[in-house]
Amino acid sequence: MSSNHSASEQQGRRHKVEGPQKHIIAYVFSLVLTLLAFATVIAGEVNTMFTYILLIVMAGIQVYIQMAFWMHMKDRGHMYAIVGILTGVFVVFTMVVMAEYWVWW
Amino acid sequence: MSAHSHVDGQLPHEPEKATLEGRNKVLGFWLFLGGETVLFGTLFAAYLALRNQVGDGNPTSQELFDLGLVAVATFILLTSSLTSVFAIQAMHKNQVKPMLIWLAVTVLLGLGFLGLEIYEFVHYVHAGHGFTTSAFSSSFYTLVGFHGAHVAFGVVWITILIFQVLRKGLNVVTAPKVYVAGMYWHFIDVVWVFIFTVVYLMGKVG
Repeated sequence: MSSNHSASEQQGRRHKVEGPQKHIIAYVFSLVLTLLAFATVIAGEVNTMFTYILLIVMAGIQVYIQMAFWMHMKDRGHMYAIVGILTGVFVVFTMVVMAEYWVWW
Repeated sequence: MSAHSHVDGQLPHEPEKATLEGRNKVLGFWLFLGGETVLFGTLFAAYLALRNQVGDGNPTSQELFDLGLVAVATFILLTSSLTSVFAIQAMHKNQVKPMLIWLAVTVLLGLGFLGLEIYEFVHYVHAGHGFTTSAFSSSFYTLVGFHGAHVAFGVVWITILIFQVLRKGLNVVTAPKVYVAGMYWHFIDVVWVFIFTVVYLMGKVG
């Protein structure tokens, strides 16, 4: 985890405050993904398995946007955050696989 | 840059991380969110296992779900996630009034989402989809209702924070609380992304 603050920024005392543009882009991108997901299902007539995979991938991208940009996980010093959430995701993945394939064996 | 100089003086950049207490609060909240992930994951797993367990004559997910309503709810929650980002950005610029306004907008959008969800649940119950109707209905209400309860809790939490900042101002003690509430709100939206995908859209596909 290397520091992304350059020496000049440290000396300049005032940190750069990020503008809203980046977040508005992330918002619009999330909206488009949501619309695509709903449109895929409403249009129907697509292979069910393909639809499932497409929906999961689009949800994954949206979650990445939320966590990386809006919850600042991409910023430095979020090692424990990433480890904590990934541990949770690992447990969840195990449980979902169990529920899908083991309960109705 | 000692912690004490910030309490009354000028707010530092990223005030939520200016004190050890603030940093610990953020770290502890991440661990809490890891636990929340497991909690919701368990409910998702139960729903996935039971979603097709419907008795004769009981409504199935294809018959029940109204995607238009869900799309509006999704739009409201996604927008509220953006407004809470704006609140944190205003906090980082030490603009207390815009921060409070954005937090208030977030609360209002959260209330709008809750209103839609209550309307939806009432509609379902009238359509013969009660909590104990089928294994599908029980797991559905438990999962989606738990998320709704989280939204309700967040609405109360952020409302109280608005009043606290009004009384005590924005400083290194109150800033971490606002920051952590923002993280909570994003997490709620993350869970909703999975609910509208796994429950509603996949439920409609079959």
